Amino acid sequence: MNSFQSASIWDTIQNSNLGTTIAESTWMFPTLETIHVIFLVTVLGTIFVVDLRMLGWTSNKFAVTAAAKDTLPWTWGAFIGAAITGTLLWVSKAHDYMNNPYFLLKMATMALAGLNMMYFHFMTWRTVEHWDRDATMPPGVRVAAALSILFWFGVVFFGRAIGFTLGIFGS
Amino acid sequence: MGDLLYHFTEWLRTTWVNGASLEISDWKLSLWLDTHFWAIPIMQVIHILSISAAFGAVLMMNLRVWNLAGTDRTFAETERRYVRWVWWALLVLLLSGIGMTIAEPVRELVNPVFWIKMPLVVVAVLVSLWFHGRVLRRLAKGGTAGPVIKTAAFLIIVLWCVIMLCGRWIAYAPV
Repeated sequence: MNSFQSASIWDTIQNSNLGTTIAESTWMFPTLETIHVIFLVTVLGTIFVVDLRMLGWTSNKFAVTAAAKDTLPWTWGAFIGAAITGTLLWVSKAHDYMNNPYFLLKMATMALAGLNMMYFHFMTWRTVEHWDRDATMPPGVRVAAALSILFWFGVVFFGRAIGFTLGIFGS
Repeated sequence: MGDLLYHFTEWLRTTWVNGASLEISDWKLSLWLDTHFWAIPIMQVIHILSISAAFGAVLMMNLRVWNLAGTDRTFAETERRYVRWVWWALLVLLLSGIGMTIAEPVRELVNPVFWIKMPLVVVAVLVSLWFHGRVLRRLAKGGTAGPVIKTAAFLIIVLWCVIMLCGRWIAYAPV
């Protein structure tokens, strides 16, 4: 990224009132980070419940649709919370994050997790009544679950890597 | 609050914890973990993934107590599905936590938030033993959860959130 580009929109965001308020406060960034962690732990914990059922490893007596119904409101609610707190964290260091390869990898991995979920939801899920209560899931379902676990592990890894590398790729 | 924590740190420096943390930092393992860039982040990732597994399982059990999830299964079936994940996740949390402490003994041990977090973890484990061993097993024999049990289920979730809060604030403790 050349200096002409990098001196543009991300700096404007970082130097906005909201950005500087969060960055200069002693408690706002850690507090947002804490809420972000609790929400993302909830997202992961509830997604794993469904993924493990889709792999055929747990709760095999029970319907996949039941596992999805039980967890999805919590997954989405927590995801929205994590997205809001994550955006606020990003605003306070927008320039630094956009220059950090691990931040970009985290966003890319989250996009892959989203695409995997959408493909599963719009394609594989159409036949759910045929395998909903099976102990052994069709390959497509197991692959979707394995990819979901893999991508979310990646999101956590890249997320944690950002905190260790901001100084290296910083402003 | 900041002042109180600062005095807590000052006091920790006068205890055996100070010498112990310095001694651990001389261990070969500690030096190895400290000089390998990805060692600490990877242990933290394992720690976060394990708390996700544990918290997800605790959440689903407690939502079952509240009749908000898993109503197609009995309490016995709910317990059988989730309890073992909590204990295995706790074991991995303990091991990765010990690893992180060995890697950065002074940062962890001479830290007031660390010493607030540890008793809370012990309380959470004891409460979980009581809750899952007695309460859920009694519910498994029949009946529904009353207000006391529902409140306990809610407070267990709050307790785990406070533990996660402490975990994050170890990094920001006034030292």
